[in-house]
Amino acid sequence: MLKTLIVDAQKCVGCRTCESYCALKHGGTCNPARARIHVVKWEQDAVFVPINCRRCEKPACELVCPRHATHRNFATGAMEVDATRCIGCLSCVFACPFGATFADPTTGEVLKCDLCGGDPTCAKVCPAGAITYEDLSKEAYLKLLASADRIPLLVREAVGKQG
Amino acid sequence: MNGWTGKILKIDVGTRKVEILPTEEHVDDYLGGRGVGLRLVYDLLRPGTKPLDPENPLIFSMGPLSGTAMPSSGRTDVTALSPQNNLRGRSNFGGYFGPEAKYAGYDHIILVGKAEKPVYVWIQDDQVELRDASQLWGKDTYDTQKLIQRELGDPEIKVVCIGPAGENLVRFACLITEYAGAAGRGGLGAVMGSKNVKAIAVRGHGSVGVARPDELLRESVALNHEIRESPACKELSSFGVVRFVSVMYKASFFPVGYFEDVDWEEMSDKYGGPAYLDKHLKKQVGCFACPIRCKNFLHVPEFGKGFTTCEPWSGFTGAVWNPDMDVMWQGIQAANRLGLDSTEVSACIGLLMELQHEGLISEKDTDGIAMERGSKTAILETVRKIAVREGFGALLGDGQRAFAEKIGPKAVAKLDLVKGLAPHPYEFRAYHGTGLMQAVGHRGDPLPMRGSLLEFEWSNAPEWFQEVGQKMYGHPGAAIPSSYEGKASSTILSEHNALAVDSMGVCTWPYANFVFHTIDKAVRMLQLVTGKDWDVPHVLGIAERLRNLERMFDVRQGLTREHDALPSKFFETPLAKGKYQGAVLDRAQFEEMKDQYYTLRGWDLKTGVPTPEKLAELRLRT
Repeated sequence: MLKTLIVDAQKCVGCRTCESYCALKHGGTCNPARARIHVVKWEQDAVFVPINCRRCEKPACELVCPRHATHRNFATGAMEVDATRCIGCLSCVFACPFGATFADPTTGEVLKCDLCGGDPTCAKVCPAGAITYEDLSKEAYLKLLASADRIPLLVREAVGKQG
Repeated sequence: MNGWTGKILKIDVGTRKVEILPTEEHVDDYLGGRGVGLRLVYDLLRPGTKPLDPENPLIFSMGPLSGTAMPSSGRTDVTALSPQNNLRGRSNFGGYFGPEAKYAGYDHIILVGKAEKPVYVWIQDDQVELRDASQLWGKDTYDTQKLIQRELGDPEIKVVCIGPAGENLVRFACLITEYAGAAGRGGLGAVMGSKNVKAIAVRGHGSVGVARPDELLRESVALNHEIRESPACKELSSFGVVRFVSVMYKASFFPVGYFEDVDWEEMSDKYGGPAYLDKHLKKQVGCFACPIRCKNFLHVPEFGKGFTTCEPWSGFTGAVWNPDMDVMWQGIQAANRLGLDSTEVSACIGLLMELQHEGLISEKDTDGIAMERGSKTAILETVRKIAVREGFGALLGDGQRAFAEKIGPKAVAKLDLVKGLAPHPYEFRAYHGTGLMQAVGHRGDPLPMRGSLLEFEWSNAPEWFQEVGQKMYGHPGAAIPSSYEGKASSTILSEHNALAVDSMGVCTWPYANFVFHTIDKAVRMLQLVTGKDWDVPHVLGIAERLRNLERMFDVRQGLTREHDALPSKFFETPLAKGKYQGAVLDRAQFEEMKDQYYTLRGWDLKTGVPTPEKLAELRLRT
């Protein structure tokens, strides 16, 4: 049974623990800018939205890649980037509707969440319980829907104040 | 280097000269963060310099662990000569600025000089710019941060700034980051204001190196779990300190008014903090990578959204005879926005209320506002007037002593100051070790510290905590509030633990005060990140050197044993009610505690100065 990350923005506290540990796990250094999850923050309203690959059924990142470097890992369900094929055109970064494909700010390397091969680190360390790793089921899907529904409301409230 | 970036950024905001200095030569002796910041301020401050002179260096210090993938790694230490007392000012803030400064590539940021016109410092990786701040001058600390992010086009820029209070050189103006992160004590906001610097904005894209990344990942995940499972974390991440405050009032740990009372029914039985949280708390948030998230985010319909933590929950309530939580909320939001130290400002209000109560002042001394106990107008107007130097707030902005001297000797006799600052508001008559820590401590307020919290915890299980006192500090009396025994040891070890953790750039709350009571976990992380093989005794040895250098800085400014004192009220006026009714500090035994402290420290008994032998033993050049 495939699993996926359920990210609940309502619970997120913007602490960046997920980003830090993700960068350490994948790159061996401490630099949240190298993470494959990123929290968008409206600090004054305490609204925090973690952005992470949605593992779409028809991934825009895969469709636009001119070299078929982005592909599905069918064991985990995650999208992965074959670095030997990637030419660094960043089309996938542009194409992702969620802005969930990132690029290393220094090297330009494409950073894609690979669910840590099936044992996601962020889910282990999120102190607010905002990230959980759950079976892909109807129940999980409904949870994702509920969370997704709430995000525009939270953000509109925050942006509306600052607009 | 791993952990440290290896670079110290020094900016002269007057001449616009930018220098990079190396960190590496300092780390073996002074570690980093607070410790290296201390060495730098000692070396850069020329004796005779006054606190608001351009030459006073304002130093921001990140530690080797700041910005690393471990819990609670977001702290920044700040130091300069303090405008409050002409001794070393030092404070520490959280939030997200410190890690960003590490990613930009810096262990320390030093500001010297004075800009001709208001500027803000903009650091993006290796680019450093001084930008015009004339549109920001006069803005509060929240608006300033947003405006800078908007102007520079990046909402992920991290900012630390001053408000109107710092611009007006209020002696206890503070630095604010995010919405409740404050370097509160010591008037460092006034130092920044005296340089015509409104803010420092930073953005970084680099990495902090790690010596042993696989082990760090494994052990840091385990540490994250251990902290999250601790009772302290569960409490703090649900309620912040608010439920602790109730208990502390019941235990007479917190004073009421201007150290005038304890056991005030409104606070010990009817304290409205927990109910206020129930009604208005939206979320608990925190600093970089921190599971504890002790900051309360409230939405109070009439007054809007905001954050607070810690001290204001008692500072704007019991300390000013105020049971109204809405007034508390407005008070702390104003103090944060205006950039005022909440501890000092609530002590100012408390002083005014005591003077009014004793008939030493009347409305005519306070712009027609009667400083009645608990008066909403008195509280909120005093905060505002101090920040903008209006009316009676103008003189009060120079400090409590300046105001009291204008009133007369009877008012001066009422002052409760330690080394020129409002002391940390704990009740020293009941808690004697806490009293010693306050009196001998650096900067006029070294608290809270583990040894003090032990005294507070004692009454829950006296025998258990006496055993802790014996094990950790060598004497069961260390835990007993009324005892005078074991306090010197608990003071010394607590000071060293705090120094060590602050020098690593992580938070004392998990690593020295509330979750872990020794620094083993923090030191282990330090080994894995930096690759240094330092163990706990080695790090505590560095901490001892730091404490002595800290002391020598103040000695150079004229400090002696007689300044390690507490106001006479604590020796003369026993507590009239509450759990510790009758408690008072015995002067002879207090001085004996100090004797024990100086002896254990190797400091001269008469002068309180580290002896030449001790300095040589520590290889400390001063």
